[in-house]
Amino acid sequence: MSLDRQSPDASKASPGRGARGLQHIDPTALMRIKNLELRAKAVVDGFLSGLHRSPYHGFSVEFTEYRQYSPGDDLRFLDWRLFARSDRYYLKRFEDETNLRCYLLVDLSRSMAFRSAPREYNKAEYAKTVAATIAYFLTLQRDAVGLITFDQAIRDYLPARFRTGHMHRLMMCLEQAPAGTATDLSLPLEQIARTARKRGLVVLLSDLLAPIEMLETKLGYLRSQGHDVVLIRTLDPVEVNFQFQDESLFFDMESGRELYVDPHAVRASYQAKFAAHANELKRICSSHGMDYYELTTDQPLDMALFDLLNARLRRGRPVARRQGAARSSNPGGR
Amino acid sequence: MGALVPIYLAGLAALSLPLIFHLVRRTPRGRQDFSSLMFLSPTVPKLTRRSRLDQLLLLLLRLAALALVVFAFSRPFLREASLLSLGDLSGRRVALLIDTSASMRRGDLWQQAVKRAEKELDDLNPQDDVALFAFGDRLQTIIDFAKEGAGPIADKPGVVRTRLRELKPDWGSTDLGTALVAVAGEIDSTSDVQQSALEPQIVVISDFQVGSRIDALRSFEWPKQVPVVAHRVALAKTTNATAQILPNEEGDELTETRVRVVNAADSKVDQFFLAWAKEPSFIKRPGETGVYVPAGQSRVIKLPRGVDDLTAECIVLRGDDQEFDNAYYVVPPRKQAVTMLYVGTDKLDSPEGLQYFLRLAVANDPLRQVEVRLVDDKKPLFTPTDPPPGAVVVSRAISPEWQTSLKSYVERGGLLLLVPENRDAAQLIPAFIDDVELASAETPVAAPGKYLLLGEIDFAHPLFAPFASPRYSDFTKIHFWKHVPLTMKTPTKTHVVARFDNGEPALLERLSGHGRVIALTSGWQPGDSQLALSTKFVPLIGAVLDLAGKDSEVAAGVSIHEPVALPAQQGKSAIAVVGPGRQETRLEAGQTSFAATDRPGIYLAKTSPQPTRFAVNLAAAESNTAPLDLDQLAQSGVKLGIELTRNERLERVRQHRDTELEGRQKIWRWLVVLALGTLILESFLAGRAARELRTAAATPT
Repeated sequence: MSLDRQSPDASKASPGRGARGLQHIDPTALMRIKNLELRAKAVVDGFLSGLHRSPYHGFSVEFTEYRQYSPGDDLRFLDWRLFARSDRYYLKRFEDETNLRCYLLVDLSRSMAFRSAPREYNKAEYAKTVAATIAYFLTLQRDAVGLITFDQAIRDYLPARFRTGHMHRLMMCLEQAPAGTATDLSLPLEQIARTARKRGLVVLLSDLLAPIEMLETKLGYLRSQGHDVVLIRTLDPVEVNFQFQDESLFFDMESGRELYVDPHAVRASYQAKFAAHANELKRICSSHGMDYYELTTDQPLDMALFDLLNARLRRGRPVARRQGAARSSNPGGR
Repeated sequence: MGALVPIYLAGLAALSLPLIFHLVRRTPRGRQDFSSLMFLSPTVPKLTRRSRLDQLLLLLLRLAALALVVFAFSRPFLREASLLSLGDLSGRRVALLIDTSASMRRGDLWQQAVKRAEKELDDLNPQDDVALFAFGDRLQTIIDFAKEGAGPIADKPGVVRTRLRELKPDWGSTDLGTALVAVAGEIDSTSDVQQSALEPQIVVISDFQVGSRIDALRSFEWPKQVPVVAHRVALAKTTNATAQILPNEEGDELTETRVRVVNAADSKVDQFFLAWAKEPSFIKRPGETGVYVPAGQSRVIKLPRGVDDLTAECIVLRGDDQEFDNAYYVVPPRKQAVTMLYVGTDKLDSPEGLQYFLRLAVANDPLRQVEVRLVDDKKPLFTPTDPPPGAVVVSRAISPEWQTSLKSYVERGGLLLLVPENRDAAQLIPAFIDDVELASAETPVAAPGKYLLLGEIDFAHPLFAPFASPRYSDFTKIHFWKHVPLTMKTPTKTHVVARFDNGEPALLERLSGHGRVIALTSGWQPGDSQLALSTKFVPLIGAVLDLAGKDSEVAAGVSIHEPVALPAQQGKSAIAVVGPGRQETRLEAGQTSFAATDRPGIYLAKTSPQPTRFAVNLAAAESNTAPLDLDQLAQSGVKLGIELTRNERLERVRQHRDTELEGRQKIWRWLVVLALGTLILESFLAGRAARELRTAAATPT
């Protein structure tokens, strides 16, 4: 990946001031584009044009760090310019360019079909667009992209590849509507752990509205295999703030359970439980050095993509590192 | 408009239920799909200010249906007539049954009873009929019900009131059962005969003591339409004890009287004092005997007569609250004067003769003053001026004239005892007892060491009855050396009371006319036998004198109004009986039974030749003054009713009329029909509303 380093302030995502005053694409307008591939293309193109710097520059070899020369080192890597300036010997270290293998795990359970009243698209549409965008972006970079869609079971599995037609197949898989009566987060993670021999990037796109007891184990296992894991939690704004007004019979879209709820009465407790759940997720991600993002469906998509890439750049180059030195992760995600 | 069962109107409170249900509105207005309920908890539906009624028409219909059902249950009716007047009350036949037994003399019970009866009279309506009965041990009709055909008595309650005030409690016992049965039978039968529309009712005013007799109720089928209203009058002080003299057992000293003291079950005191007294006054006396009797129990003590009390007529009890039963009368023993003629040859002071022992035997009799008179041959046996002797003892041969006069004496009721001292005298036995004869010419003389014993004795005979007990029936120590052998003719009218062990008669009795002849075949003097020296001799002579006795006083223990059998009167004159209050009652000629004993005390019947005295006491049961459980009356079949005031009866009549009215109108049916119609309409509207709701819910939001 050849994105430029961004200042840390830019990670504070807000449509107004983030990303150096980019004019973001309105997600509602974007979602009106029926073709997912076109949609992803629109996002990526807009995103790239906003970056002002071509991703094609300095693509091949990337500088990582200086190291003081010690006898026996290969003199080819000695920075002579620096020596000229400072009269000291430093070795200039570079990272090898490799192809990234990225696995997109997209939750298509029924809970992802939820949308609050004014929005015309649901969480699944949003997550699929995010996934398509990432896939498109990586394909542009000639990286291999794989896909797993799941609910209570794995529905589609496309291994990470970079070849002609793969992008189209991936988009076709993503087009499927949400189904399934539950969400089993452990299945796709186990599948990846079983099939992905090479280290890669694992992006989990889900609302994560499911028990998370086993999540820590599975993610920790992936991490131990060397995968870089990113959790993108897709939520409807109402799911965060629970701004319902009328007491209603709440119907669980997955289990079909019904519950009479007065929003005014339960809002505080809902928010507390929700925050506790989110904190637990953040804790898990933080303890395993994983990135965690929360995207609400009212956020611009390119903004989301920008944030993701921005954060990843800030973390340096965790994937395909030449040396095994661990890097500090950004525990807060965004 | 009225309601027959207005209690059901309380069901109107159920109208609040539809209101609450409409306000609660458990079913929310809309349905909200949500991704996951994992952070949600259910909300309890509650009434808030924001709740408001909707579906008003449905609510009103439900309220109306409920109200209609409630009104239907309350059985409404349209009242036609206005308020009832007293004239609408049906008349009653009230039998006032007032207790005049002795126990009503206690405290102010009688005043209470009269007051209670007057209150009953006050509560009568003009159309009511009333009768007044008094009962103790018998029922008295003071004023009867109006008879058919007879004109109405003007101001009958006033007349009843006057007669009521004249009543006083007497000394009789309480026979509640018989009184109730008689009045119930009377009131029931007259109601049937007269086809009377009047409601019969018996009002009993009594102290309802345990001692009341209610046995008569058990064999009586109580008429169902005759209710009994029982009014109990009671006292604050309830301690009552009584004393009764028990009949003496054999062997008891006559002066040692056994007294039973009974304490009533509701008594508060258990210490009482007993004393002999000449008159019934309940003061503290020197030498009185204390007795401890717990409530509801009885004790028997011995109360000996002191030297000063030999003529005392009653025992008095002290220590309880009620004095009406504290005196128990008993006729003091009075010595009977008996004249006995002795016809014999032996000397007065000769210990070999009969007369000597006879005089000794009768000398110390505590009950009799016996005069033994030796008859001289020169004088006639009987003198017309003297009363006939109680008994005549003959031991020697007498002239035929004397024999004739003795036979006539026996025929009139005299007692002749023949104890022949020799062969000549023995000829008298066949002369007076014709179905025996002397066996042989020679009087057998027992050889030395030979003797006879009494072998066969009829202990049922009055002569030997005192020896009937096994303690005294041993005659084997009495040896007989001489006797007059007799043979009995068959058939015989003579009763052989005792025989010797060889089977020959020892003692014979022959009833003749009103009197009797007793013959001993052996003398009691030591020359003939050991009889006079034995302990059996004195009681035997006493028994002979008992048979000869004329002045047999009536034993104590006769209760009030209990008939007393007086001894047969000589001559045709009527007997006069003087009571304790010196009042004299003259019986009809020939009547020997007296039952008009109206108070306890000693009565004197002027019978001839001896006047008869007898004691009359309260019935023992009357002293048992503990309150009777009225349930016992109910168990005996009596239908116990409740006393209702005039207004209460009016209310009953009103209720009865309301029931009839409601039964005719049956408005509840229409109300039920209306309620059903309302419910159908409500179901229809509710179904439509539900359909609309479902349609609205199915529309995407």
